[in-house]
Amino acid sequence: MSEELSKSFLSYYSKISNKEFSLLSFERIFGGASRETYKISVKDSLDSEERLILRISQESSLIETEQRIEYLAYSAFQKSNVPVPVLIDMSEDDSTFNAPFMLMRELKGEAANPFTPNSYSPYEHDIGIQFWSILGEITKKKIDSEIFKTFAADLDQPFWKTELDKWVKVIEEDSIGVEPILEAGIRYLYKYPPKESKNICMVHGDYRSGNFLYSKNKITGILDWEMAHLGDPLEDLGWALSPIWSWQDRDRPAYLIPRDEALEVWENSSNCKVDQKDLEWWELFAAIKGMAIWISAGNEFKSGKNIDPINLFSAWIPGDIHLEVILNTLESKI
Amino acid sequence: MKPDLNLALLNAAQEIINRFSPLIDDEYERSRLGSWGALVLISAMKLDEAGASLDKENQDIIEWLLSNSRIKEDKLEVLKSADLGGRTISFHDENNQKLRRMLSDEVEFLESGGDRVKVLSAYELLRSMHQRRKVSDLVGLLQQSAD
Repeated sequence: MSEELSKSFLSYYSKISNKEFSLLSFERIFGGASRETYKISVKDSLDSEERLILRISQESSLIETEQRIEYLAYSAFQKSNVPVPVLIDMSEDDSTFNAPFMLMRELKGEAANPFTPNSYSPYEHDIGIQFWSILGEITKKKIDSEIFKTFAADLDQPFWKTELDKWVKVIEEDSIGVEPILEAGIRYLYKYPPKESKNICMVHGDYRSGNFLYSKNKITGILDWEMAHLGDPLEDLGWALSPIWSWQDRDRPAYLIPRDEALEVWENSSNCKVDQKDLEWWELFAAIKGMAIWISAGNEFKSGKNIDPINLFSAWIPGDIHLEVILNTLESKI
Repeated sequence: MKPDLNLALLNAAQEIINRFSPLIDDEYERSRLGSWGALVLISAMKLDEAGASLDKENQDIIEWLLSNSRIKEDKLEVLKSADLGGRTISFHDENNQKLRRMLSDEVEFLESGGDRVKVLSAYELLRSMHQRRKVSDLVGLLQQSAD
């Protein structure tokens, strides 16, 4: 681990806290491809320990997002029914760590690998109820007007079109080969759009298994808000339900509770009613968005911009699965 | 006869996963090296058949285009490689991209004309191509090797 970075951090944190700290540990966490994430432990002169998470924007990242967006999304849910880490600081300039960063308190709990079945055993039911219920809480949360204004830049067309255009652009820019299944899926989405949503809500953007912390039977934090935006309540639902997150047990989305039960919990929590046809659109959209992310990862790897193995893994494994999801959907529609 | 390239890669992957990765204390670097091991393992398993798979895919697309599309045989003739032999993976891949472009355009044309039977036959071809290409079916194997 970079000794220089840990030294810079210690100096920075002592300065913003107005007291001297010493470093107990400074470890990079493997996995996240959009931010370099570090788990840090420091203690002050009275031996009082503080556990922190530092997220630094990567020069070359899987998903290009602004640090400010992630920070504001976390801000919107401080002290709410949606558990999120307590924020400490954020900077969009490069002066402190040579890149924008965000600092927050570490929450207790662990994150599962989204591709591993039975990670939550024996607490799948308890965690499942919370997982879908918290998503409902995100949906129904009234967004602070200042935060709303920041996110409200792209409200001049239907949410579905803003999101679809955005991800299709990523696909067009980053594709390294012709993929007929993906092209057919995109055509289908443009041809059969969903109804325009009457509700507007904060969309997490990557709400899924693996992006929350849990401790035994309790969800302790919802993480990774870097793709947050305003949009249709069904967008997060479609992404969280995607079969990719429970490929080896597809009737139990996110390897938690059965799909019907999940939808019921979400409806009760969000006060929204699921329109099945529109949800099907958003589920197919989830696979197209996924492909955009996996294609982007493959491009990063192939171009040599970022040869982190997670980029190659993303291009190969989830890319395969989402293509199969798209083909299954297209076949079922014809 | 010397040991094959894929055998070399298979052994390298096993060494990375089981021998070298556990020696690293730093959790991030250990996970990163373990991931490389898994990816080398997948590469080793797919290496032997990569050229033949691409060639088969190209032949399948040509056959489908000849039976179901507006494209004339002379346009496809140059992309046939079965009788040429000795071709590299990149040669097959270059042809594959051209054929995939033609296939995708033809599927779009059939969709717009509402030809359900031919679209279904295209989906069938796309599925067989995907099945041959995909590596996601090796995930279970990777998990076992990590355990």
